[in-house]
Amino acid sequence: MTSHQSQLGGSEGIAEELAESQRSISIAEFFEKNKHMLGFDSGARGLVTAVKEAVDNALDACEEAGIAPDVYVEIQEAGDYYRLIVEDNGPGITKEQLPKVFGKLLYGSRFHKREQNRGQQGIGISAAVLYSQLTSGKPAKVTSRTQGSADAEYFELIIDTDTNEPEIDVEETTSWERPHGTRIELEMEANMRARNQLHDYIKHTAVVNPHARIELREPSEHMKYERVTDQLPEETEEIRPHPHGVELGTLIKMLDATDSYSVSGFLQGEFTRVGGKTADSVIDNFRDRHYGREMAWTPPKAHEDADVARALDAAVANKGADATAEFADRVSDALDGYERVAHHELAALVDDVADDVEEKHDTTFGSTVRENAVEAGWNAVVGAGNGVDAADDQEYERLRADLYGMIDEVTTTQKDDATIQGLADRLAPKFGDAEDHRHRFTRDEIREFVRRAADATEEYDDATFGETARENVVEIIWEAAERVPDEPPNVNEIGDDRDVSSQLMEAMRETDIISPPTDCLAPINAELIEEGLRKEYDADFFAASTRDASVHGGDPFIVEAGLAYGGDVEAEGKAEVMRFANRVPLVYQRGACATTDVVKNINWRNYNLDQPGGSGIPNGPVVIMVHIASTNVPFTSESKDAVANVPELESEIELAMREAARELKSFLKKRRSMQQRREKQDKLATILPEMAEKLTQVTGSDELDIDDTLARIMNNVLVERERDGDTVRLTIENNSDRAADVEITDIVAGSEPVLANGDASVVEMDGEWFVKWSTSVSSGDETTLEYDVGDDAEFEISVEGLESERLTIDA
Amino acid sequence: MSTDTDADAREQLIDLAEEFYEQFEDGDVPTMQIPTRTKSNIEYDEDKNVWVYGDRESTRTAKTISGAEKLLKATYTIDFLAGQLDDDRSSTLRELYYLSESWDLDEAQFNSQDESNNLIEDLEIVSEVKREDFHMRPEESGAKIMGPLLLREQTNRGDREIHCQDDVGQGGYQIPNNPDTIEFLDNDAEFVLCVETGGMRDRLVENGFDDEYDALVVHLGGQPARATRRITKRLHDELDLPVVVFADGDPWSYRIYGSVAYGSIKSAHLSEYLATPEAQYIGIQPEDIVEYDLPTDPLSDSDVNALESELEDPRFQTDYWEEQIELQLDIGKKSEQQSLASYGLDFVTDTYLPERLEEMGIL
Repeated sequence: MTSHQSQLGGSEGIAEELAESQRSISIAEFFEKNKHMLGFDSGARGLVTAVKEAVDNALDACEEAGIAPDVYVEIQEAGDYYRLIVEDNGPGITKEQLPKVFGKLLYGSRFHKREQNRGQQGIGISAAVLYSQLTSGKPAKVTSRTQGSADAEYFELIIDTDTNEPEIDVEETTSWERPHGTRIELEMEANMRARNQLHDYIKHTAVVNPHARIELREPSEHMKYERVTDQLPEETEEIRPHPHGVELGTLIKMLDATDSYSVSGFLQGEFTRVGGKTADSVIDNFRDRHYGREMAWTPPKAHEDADVARALDAAVANKGADATAEFADRVSDALDGYERVAHHELAALVDDVADDVEEKHDTTFGSTVRENAVEAGWNAVVGAGNGVDAADDQEYERLRADLYGMIDEVTTTQKDDATIQGLADRLAPKFGDAEDHRHRFTRDEIREFVRRAADATEEYDDATFGETARENVVEIIWEAAERVPDEPPNVNEIGDDRDVSSQLMEAMRETDIISPPTDCLAPINAELIEEGLRKEYDADFFAASTRDASVHGGDPFIVEAGLAYGGDVEAEGKAEVMRFANRVPLVYQRGACATTDVVKNINWRNYNLDQPGGSGIPNGPVVIMVHIASTNVPFTSESKDAVANVPELESEIELAMREAARELKSFLKKRRSMQQRREKQDKLATILPEMAEKLTQVTGSDELDIDDTLARIMNNVLVERERDGDTVRLTIENNSDRAADVEITDIVAGSEPVLANGDASVVEMDGEWFVKWSTSVSSGDETTLEYDVGDDAEFEISVEGLESERLTIDA
Repeated sequence: MSTDTDADAREQLIDLAEEFYEQFEDGDVPTMQIPTRTKSNIEYDEDKNVWVYGDRESTRTAKTISGAEKLLKATYTIDFLAGQLDDDRSSTLRELYYLSESWDLDEAQFNSQDESNNLIEDLEIVSEVKREDFHMRPEESGAKIMGPLLLREQTNRGDREIHCQDDVGQGGYQIPNNPDTIEFLDNDAEFVLCVETGGMRDRLVENGFDDEYDALVVHLGGQPARATRRITKRLHDELDLPVVVFADGDPWSYRIYGSVAYGSIKSAHLSEYLATPEAQYIGIQPEDIVEYDLPTDPLSDSDVNALESELEDPRFQTDYWEEQIELQLDIGKKSEQQSLASYGLDFVTDTYLPERLEEMGIL
C-alpha cells in the first residue's frame, strides 16, 4: 500500500476529485437500498406491510385519543395496481401535521420515547407512502377530520425524495361522513400472493385487540371482526431510560443535552428509578473508577520506632514548643484511634487539630506547615523517607507487615508462611515507591501490583499463586482502601471525555437499581387474551397468562401467553403459533423468532400434547399465542418480523407459556379421564342392558331396570326417588371417590309439597313448587332428602354441581 | 332323551342366571366368584385323596368392561346351553366358539376358543355341573379300551351291549364323550393299564397282552381327555381294579400320570370325579433307564425346567417322585416307551411289564 500512499500524497487534486463523486444519499435511494429491512422487498410483501403500518397507526391513534378503534381496510384492484384504503375513527390529524405524518420519513414522536407503542421508528406509514409513489407514481390521498370540525381536509401528497419533505399536490376541504378519523388511500404495485399472511395479520390483530372492530374487504373476501370489550388498553406512561439500559453513545448525548450541572442532578433528572440515594451509590462507584481509592495503613503505635509525634514535632517549625508539642501529641493520639488511616484522613485530621491548636495558642498553622505535617505524618505511617534510612530488606517494614496480615487472612492455610511473606515483601515497595505519594490507586492498578508481585513470588520462591488467590488479595486490599472525598467531575467534564463517560456508565451498570416501572406497558392481560381467542376460535378450552414485568437492557417488558385447544381448531398438522409484539401480529420470519424457538424447545408431551420427537411445534388442535409488550422490543431487524433471542425474554416467554400450558394439561387430563369414563359408560351401556335382557329371557322374569347398577359401576352419584305414601324420598348415593356437592331442585306440580327436611327451600311459581336443597355427600355416603306431597303430584328433578358423566338420575 | 341329570343341569344354569338377575334387581354390580386356577391355588383334600382348588378366588365383575363382557358371554352361553338341554342336543366346545359368531351382539362373541373353553369351565365350577351334563363335548374323542370287559352304552340309537375284546376290532372300544352313559356288566380283568402312546398300545394288543394278563388296556393318547380319566376312575372305583400308567420316561409323561392320578390344575374342581389317586406309575421310571440300560436322549433345557417345576408341584411332593425326579436330573437322560424295543419287540410284554407288575404287587 505504500505506493498508493505516496500517490495520494503526491497529488493534491485527489481529495477534490473524490469529493465530486460524494453526494448526500436521497431518501428514495436509502429506501431503495433498505426496503427489505423495512418489509417492502416484494409486491406481495409490500402490500401486507403497508396494511400493517396503516392499521398499526390507526389503532395507536385511536387508543391515544381514548377512542375504541373502528378500522376499515379495503384492497381494490386498480388497473395494473392495487389500491389500499385504510380508514379509522381516530382523532384525526391537524392540517399542519398531516403532510408531515404521511410525507416525511422518520417523523414521529415515538423514537425518543420510552413507551409501549405499536410503531417505534416513525418509518412505517411514510415508507408505505414512499413505496406507493415509487411503484405507481401516484400520490397518497389522505382525508382527515378532527373531532368537532365541520369539514374534513383532503390532501394529495408525495414525498420529495431529495429533501425528504412532503410535497402537496392537492389540498382542499371536503365533507366526510365520519365525525372524526383519518383515511389514507395508496396505489401501489402489488399482488395478493401473500393473502394468507394478510388474513393472518388481520385475524391476529383482532385477537389481541379485542377492543377494536376491524374489517377487511379485499377482491375475493370480506372479513369482519367485532369488538368484544369496550375496555381500551390502559394508557401507558412515558418513562425515562433506566440506568441499566443505556449505551455509551446515548449517555454521552444525554450528558451533552442535560440542563443539570452535577452528576447527581443529571442522574436523578434523566433516569428512571434514581433518587438521591441511588445517585450517591452510582457516584461512589464512579469515584472508585475515576479517582481510585486511597490505601489506608495501620498507623504506628506510640512505642514503635516510627513515632508520629516525633515526626510531626520535627516537621513543625517556629510555632512555639507548647503549640507544637500539643499539635504533635493530639494528632498522634487521634491516630491511635484509627485501625487504618488513609492520606486524606490524615490530612483532615491534621487540619482539624491545627485549627484547634491555632485557636488555643493564638498562633497560625499556615498551609505549608500543615502540608509538611501531613507529609511527615504520612511518611511515619508508611514508614518511608524523612531520614529513615533503612536497609533494603527493612524498607517499608510497616507496609510489609500490614500486607502480610491482609494476605494471610485471605489465603488458604496451604500457603506457607514464606510464600505469604514473599508476596507481602514484593508488594510493599510497589505501594511505597508509587508515584502517587497519597497511595491513590484504581482497582486495576492494585490488581497489576498484585499480579507482578505474585508472578515474581511464583518465579523466585517456587510457590503457586492462582487467579482466585490473587483476586482475593486484590479484594481485601481494595476493601481496606478508602473511598476518596473528591467531588466527582461535573456533567460537562464527564461528557467531554469518552473514557470518563464510560466510567460513569460502568458505575451505573454496577449499582443495584430497582427495575423500571411498568406503567409504561399495557399488557392485554390474561382475561382479554382469553376473550380475544374465544372470539376468533371456537375451541373447547382457553388459557392465558400474564407474567410480571421484567427488564432487559433498561427496557421493561411483559410476556403474555394464551392457548386455545380443541373444538373447531384445525386438528391436522402442527399447532398454530401466533406471535405479537406490542399488540402487532408478526406474520413473517417465523423461524427466526425467539418465540418460535421457545415453543419448539418446550416439551409439550409433559402437557399431554402430541409432539413427535419430543421437540418442535406440537401437533393437534392447538393455538399458541405469545404477546411481548415492551418499550423496546428487541427485533432482529427493522422490518420487525422476528423477536431477537434475548435470554431474559426467552425465559419469560417460556414461563408464560408453561403457565398457560399447565392449565391445558389439567384440562386434557380431566378430559381424558372423562372420555375414558364416557367410553366405559358407553360400552357398559351396550353390554349390561343386553345382559339384562338375556337374563330376563333365560329366567323368564320381569323386565330389569339396571340404572342403579350402572350408577354404582360408574362410580357415579346416584339420585333415586322413592314414594312411600305421601312421603317423597330422594336418595343421593355417592359411589365416587370424592365428595359431591350438589344442588337438587325437585319441581313439583299438582300438589303443594310440605315438611321438606334439611335446608330445603320451597318457592312457588306459576302453580309449580321448587323444592331446593344444597347438600354435600362425601365419598361412599348417602343422604336422604324428603318431603310430603299429595298423590296427584308430578315431579321433575334437576341436579346441579356435577358433570353429567358423574351423575345418574333415577327419579 | 331329556333325563333328570339334564333337568338338574338346566336348573343349575338358570339358578346362576337368576343370581345375576337378582344382583341387577338390587342395584348391585353383577359378579361371579371363581377359584383361581393356578398351581399355587390347589391343595390336597385329605378326605378325598385328590387335589382340589384352594381358597383363592378371582372375581369377574361387571365393573370393568372386560368383566362385563365375560358376564355377558356367560349369560349368552347359559341361554344357549339351557336351550340345548331343552332340545336334547349336544355340541362340541369348538362348535360353541363358532356358534357365538351368530349372536347378534358383537360384545357377546368369543374372541378365541380358549375363551369359550375357559368360560365353560367357569360355568362348570360355579354351577357345579359337569360340562358333559351341559351336553358339551370336546372335539377330540375319548380314548379306546381293549380288554375283557362287557358293558352297556346308552347311545342316541338305543342301548348297546359291547364286549371290549369280542365285539370290537383291533382298535378297541371307543369311549363315548360322557362315559357316565356306560354301565359295566361283567369283566375278567385283573388290572387297568393306561398307555400313553398309540404305538405302544398297538404293540400290546398285537402281542395279546390284554388277553394273556387279563389287562384292560386304556389308550391315553397324550394328555388324557376327561372321558378317559373318568372311565379310568370308574373302572377303578366300580370294578375295584388296580390302575397303572405306562408312559415315556420324561417329565411330560409324569404330568400325564399326574392328571390321571391327582387331577389336572384346570379341572381341579372335578378331581373328585376324574382323578384316580390310587393309580400307580409303572414306567418308564428314571430308575428303569439305569436298570435296563435303555437307549436315551439327553434332557433338554425345557425338560430340566419341567422336572424342576414338578419338584415344586404339590402333586409330585412324594418320596417316590422326589427320588425319581432327582435321579433323572442326576443322570440327565430320558427314554421313550419304544426304547424297550432295543431288546426285541416282545421284551415289553414278555419281560418288562410282567417284571414291573410283579414288583408293584399287581401280578
